[in-house]
Amino acid sequence: MNGPMLQSCGACCRRWQFRRGACPACGSAEVSEIAASGQGTVWSVTQVMRAPLSELDVPGGYGIALVTLVEGPRIMCRAENGLAIGERVTVTIRADNLPAATRA
Amino acid sequence: MAFLTGVAATAFGKHPGSDAPTLMETAARTAITDAGLPLEAVDGLVCGYATTFPHLMTATVMVERLGLKPRHAHQAAVGGATGAVGILLARHLIAAGACRHVLVLGGENRLTGQSRDDAVKTLAGVGHPVHEVPLGASVPAYYALVAARHLHETGASEGDLAELAVLMRRHAADHPGAQLTKPIGVDDVMASKPVATPLKLLDCCPISDGAAAVVVSAEPGQGASIRLAGWGEAHTHQHVSEMPDDLGLGARMAASAAFERAGRTASDMRLLGLYDSFTPTLAIFLEALGFAAPGQAGPMARDGLFGRDGHFPLNLHGGLLSYGHPGVAGFLAHVVEVVRQMRGEAGTRQVKGPPPLAYCHADGGVFSSHAGFVLERTA
Repeated sequence: MNGPMLQSCGACCRRWQFRRGACPACGSAEVSEIAASGQGTVWSVTQVMRAPLSELDVPGGYGIALVTLVEGPRIMCRAENGLAIGERVTVTIRADNLPAATRA
Repeated sequence: MAFLTGVAATAFGKHPGSDAPTLMETAARTAITDAGLPLEAVDGLVCGYATTFPHLMTATVMVERLGLKPRHAHQAAVGGATGAVGILLARHLIAAGACRHVLVLGGENRLTGQSRDDAVKTLAGVGHPVHEVPLGASVPAYYALVAARHLHETGASEGDLAELAVLMRRHAADHPGAQLTKPIGVDDVMASKPVATPLKLLDCCPISDGAAAVVVSAEPGQGASIRLAGWGEAHTHQHVSEMPDDLGLGARMAASAAFERAGRTASDMRLLGLYDSFTPTLAIFLEALGFAAPGQAGPMARDGLFGRDGHFPLNLHGGLLSYGHPGVAGFLAHVVEVVRQMRGEAGTRQVKGPPPLAYCHADGGVFSSHAGFVLERTA
């Protein structure tokens, strides 16, 4: 299993990515860490042609996607070139610790 | 009751050698004079942050510099919505009886006071430090993600978004203070350098130096009476990863509250001052707030609906996209133009009327914080 880590609410089953001490939906502090399956759908995607830091600039740019995981939350990932909204993807954590979406 | 009694904006663009306090001082003194007030009458200050002047107490710096003796002063930071939230805060301070004349102030040398890399890096910091910024996302990338989703949902095209950039440039051409005035067409926008797909350079506002100020008062003051008739805020998320699926939700929440308090609807408005950091920002606002059908903001702009002679004249100074964007002063310049139009003081840009009702709206972050208000000319 190499999917992104999420938090899960033991009371209402809501799942999310950003670390919190309690559930953003119901307020329960019964929060546990779970590994996401990595399966999801592209909610949106962009090819960044002008990076915020010059050391990140690469010819042709790089893709960034927002992926809605089957577990519920939407997370930001690096994206394989050419992904389109609605495509099924697998999100894995790369060696550089960044999540990346590739066609499922 | 609160009234917008004094407004001022410097030219936007390059002000080499002027730091943030210098630019803010110019706008502040001009706005106080415009309100017809002696300095000692100003008893409140809401001062924006400045990225080129990262001080813990910018408001107090400006109190000292201007020689104010306020009963309330503080620095506000709600990103691009700071000026709008500042005007609402001023209204609340007046309603609470804490102040009678509140100066809302913003300005900085964002263009010449730092490198382009520093500016872009600072702005990218509105992203999540663990889950967004390390991916190489930038503010244009965050808005590009929302733009791509908007185009997907509405069937609008990049060319439709480009119409909004063309419109802002046309409006800026009539304002001597605007940063970008060279006429452009849809083809120029489409051919401009890609930044983060679907956004090209001309879909993005420039970085600018400049300052703007608005005085909010307990009484109308001299000349036309411009009353703050309704207001609303919404804060739905900070990071685009947690943005609601409904892209227009926060904007609609804030606007609904504002219209309800004013006892008006969107269709009553005769002038708009809407935040336009990127063309999709403007498209989503126009469509979420009921000024255009979904996906139709661009085509309706092309048809003249948002021009000076249209039904909903929009950002007649050129907006952030062409008048310019120096941070907190960016949206305040929209308010300055709206008030001048409502007073009938906009010269060659003047809308017939002058317009009796206007709606102003800004967002901070990535559609994160919203503040909107209805202005009504009551005399």
